[in-house]
Amino acid sequence: MKDLSLIRNFCIIAHIDHGKSTLADRLIEMTGTVSKRDMQDQILDSMELEREKGITIKLAPTRLVYEYAGKEYILNLIDTPGHVDFTYEVSRSLAACEGALLLVDASQGVEAQTLANTYLALDNNLEIVPVINKIDLPSARVDEVKAEIEEVIGLDAENCPCISAKDGLNIDQVLRAVVEQIPAPSGDENKPLKALIFDSHYDNFKGAICLIRVFDGSVKRGDRILMMRTGKIFEATEVGIFVPNTKETAVLSAGDVGYIAASIKTISDVRVGDTVTLADNPISEALPGYKEVQPVVFCGIFTVDGAKYDELKDSLEKLKLNDASLQFSPEVSSALGFGFRCGFLGLLHLEIITERLEREFNLDIITTAPSVSYVVHKTNGEVLEISNPSNFPSAVEISRIEEPIVNVSVFTPPEYVGAIMDLCQEKRGIYKDMQYIDKRRVEMKYVMPLGEIIYDFFDSLKSRTKGYASFDYEFAGTAPADLVKVDLLLNGEKCDALSLIVHKDKAYSRGRELTERLKKIIPRQLFEVPIQACIGNKIIARETISAMRKDVLAKCYGGDITRKRKLLEKQKEGKKRMRKIGSVEIPSEAFMSILKLDDNK
Amino acid sequence: MQEKPISIYVHIPFCEKKCAYCAFNSFCASEKQKEECLDFLCKEIASRKVARPVATIYVGGGTPSVLTEEQIERVANAIYDNFDVYEDAEFTIEANPNSITENLLKKWKSLRVNRLSIGVQTLNERSLKQIGRLHDRKTALEKVKLARKFFANVSCDLIIGLEGQTEKDLCRDAKTLLELGVKHISCYLLEVYENTPLARMIANGKFLPLDEEQTISAFNKLATFLQDEGMTRYEISNFAFDGWESRHNLNYWARGEYLGFGLSAHSFLNGKRFQNAETLEKYSNGEVVEENLSAKEEDEERVMLGLRCNLGVDLSTIQTYDITQNAYFDEYLSQGILQRKGDRLFLNPLFWHVSNTIISNLLP
Repeated sequence: MKDLSLIRNFCIIAHIDHGKSTLADRLIEMTGTVSKRDMQDQILDSMELEREKGITIKLAPTRLVYEYAGKEYILNLIDTPGHVDFTYEVSRSLAACEGALLLVDASQGVEAQTLANTYLALDNNLEIVPVINKIDLPSARVDEVKAEIEEVIGLDAENCPCISAKDGLNIDQVLRAVVEQIPAPSGDENKPLKALIFDSHYDNFKGAICLIRVFDGSVKRGDRILMMRTGKIFEATEVGIFVPNTKETAVLSAGDVGYIAASIKTISDVRVGDTVTLADNPISEALPGYKEVQPVVFCGIFTVDGAKYDELKDSLEKLKLNDASLQFSPEVSSALGFGFRCGFLGLLHLEIITERLEREFNLDIITTAPSVSYVVHKTNGEVLEISNPSNFPSAVEISRIEEPIVNVSVFTPPEYVGAIMDLCQEKRGIYKDMQYIDKRRVEMKYVMPLGEIIYDFFDSLKSRTKGYASFDYEFAGTAPADLVKVDLLLNGEKCDALSLIVHKDKAYSRGRELTERLKKIIPRQLFEVPIQACIGNKIIARETISAMRKDVLAKCYGGDITRKRKLLEKQKEGKKRMRKIGSVEIPSEAFMSILKLDDNK
Repeated sequence: MQEKPISIYVHIPFCEKKCAYCAFNSFCASEKQKEECLDFLCKEIASRKVARPVATIYVGGGTPSVLTEEQIERVANAIYDNFDVYEDAEFTIEANPNSITENLLKKWKSLRVNRLSIGVQTLNERSLKQIGRLHDRKTALEKVKLARKFFANVSCDLIIGLEGQTEKDLCRDAKTLLELGVKHISCYLLEVYENTPLARMIANGKFLPLDEEQTISAFNKLATFLQDEGMTRYEISNFAFDGWESRHNLNYWARGEYLGFGLSAHSFLNGKRFQNAETLEKYSNGEVVEENLSAKEEDEERVMLGLRCNLGVDLSTIQTYDITQNAYFDEYLSQGILQRKGDRLFLNPLFWHVSNTIISNLLP
């Protein structure tokens, strides 16, 4: 019989940059899970991109063996993504644990993200152990941060471990706290199998892999497993644990964290939050908390070289293998040709996917400005869900529009309260509440349209608060809004990929900014080009790009033909990044530039 | 059957003084350096003999007119000794007004030079000083007049875009030169290269060139004036009365072959382009950069060179792609940017100053 009292399942909650991955590395190192020789910094962040951005996107669990008071404990560390886009994934990881380390930067203090995830952990009845990191920094204010943790979260931080993950200081205290404070799992391995899928990934040889936490019962190779939400049955071909690489074991039983491979062809059969049981001896009720993940941010993705459509398709399909939350469907744009409308969990998710397409698949892509999904009620009673501005019906056909709204919480030092209020107001935010957490932190609450959040909110917040404010949001349904579609005409021709949905009161200023911005981005053409913004047939803004005057290699120095030819070839090469709308050529950056408009420039 | 004729270009890399705008491979050399350089040049000419007649010779620079009578004679003789030069070959020498003397003109004449290209640049005193030319207006006019006494075929260079230059100034300068009997005028847009004194002057606010709009507008006025005077703009920068075009330059546009001698000189022979090294040391070691043109690159050259002059491109010579299927081809034709007469394709001269965009779009 396995002794459950020697197991701890825990995760780390932290704001970006507070040192989560570094701490995880130290824990692995201290427990000798990976020899120092094989140690690569931040080994749980397996993607190159994650390591580079210093953020963790994918969860990578690992099993640590720790000796304490003469006994050998198994500590299963489930790493979590620290970004609002992945809240649901975080919640499922939390559900797989009994406890969490709340890692707080000793100079930064509690951030919006930390708080949001801490609440998630409390919702999941987790035991939370505060850990204060970066005490080696001169700006560390350990006592104040302790007080903040007690004040804001209501946790006792008196005797919490104060560490420097970077320097490897007091890491042992963390391990001890895990054993002492986090409860051992409970569960009965003689009951029918009940396991939670908290993550999945795709392996080219083994198919989709389920990362699971077993609550009751056990599972071994050859078992027929049932996915309770999808009703699909597979035969387990391998079960195992993470050390942190996969290692096959004979059985996984109550209290364990590990994986099941079952030759599952598509990742969508492995849903995060689903419950795995045995097909021949199932439990009656699935674990609570399962949600279908819905994308909330959308954009068009096209290749710079139109001929690479198939490559883009293949690449998206490959990414989708590992990322069930990524959605895409074919889209045709008159400006950009064939591409895909893609749905993401949030802006970071969007950014990660586009960067991976460029880096890992070597594609030169054009993305259109992100949009949210609107509910459009037509006068004929039809109700449409539209995430692509160019699919909007004409104004006369629309009776009303609803847009997604979110509850926003902003954490900031008090001196920026005014600036944030201005920003939130500009972003059509409705003030809800404001609380002084202590003398240096204020929490502000707003209800805001998601469409405004994805439009430059994060950058504006950062720039107006010198980077001190942090924010978090959660969905709060939809609300009616007075929205209009602004179209862009280049030389009189509509460019569908540049259309955007804007609140009526902002249409004029947005139209003006957009035409001004495009005037800057679009190079001079052989002829004068008018740029117009319009609502329906009404022109609301106009700029003119004057005709190109000089682009010539005037002199022929003693027959140097080669230099001339190479210059022209290079110029032609540069053209590949241009798209043609009618006779107007626009650089691919123009399509993304609508996003970058800053109301406050 | 006689072999196809070639052209010869000789690069004289010396100047009395570098001009403010010059980014070209030229320098002020001592007499000793000059002699050494000429020794090598003459050796090079002798060593690269080919059995092809020579139709044009062009001695450029730098400032070839800084060569003494004896020196230019050595160069000319090196060519005559080693090549079969046509009786009626065009033989051009580039000259700066201040270095032109009656004796030098006589010497050139005796060496069968029959065309001068004089670097007048402008007749505005202030501008001449600003750009670091050694001559003034009076010298320029006197020397052009003197040159015309010996040579019927005289070309002058003008620069467009200088500080304070007006359309009127330009046309008046051109008129003055035409009245002196100049048959060919090259009009170059002022180009500012990095690391030139001019670039520094502009950065320090000491020189304010015309902006693009003013420059092109002034050029266009000048072009109209010259055409009204009966000249033809036969290439982006070149105007001539009929029959007085530079045959040497036309050979470049027509992808005719040529040998280039001297520091950094370019050659095109037997379908291959190559360039002498750009530093004296490497050049005197005989280092050469060679380039084998692919069929596609040959086509690129045909399009690029043909469209920059009134020769146009012979579409039947384009081998590797169907230019009429190019995405821009029909658009440009319908906009009047391109003009087609049978198998020949021309670029409308109104668009010559934006020809990079157009030509690069039409490349394979």
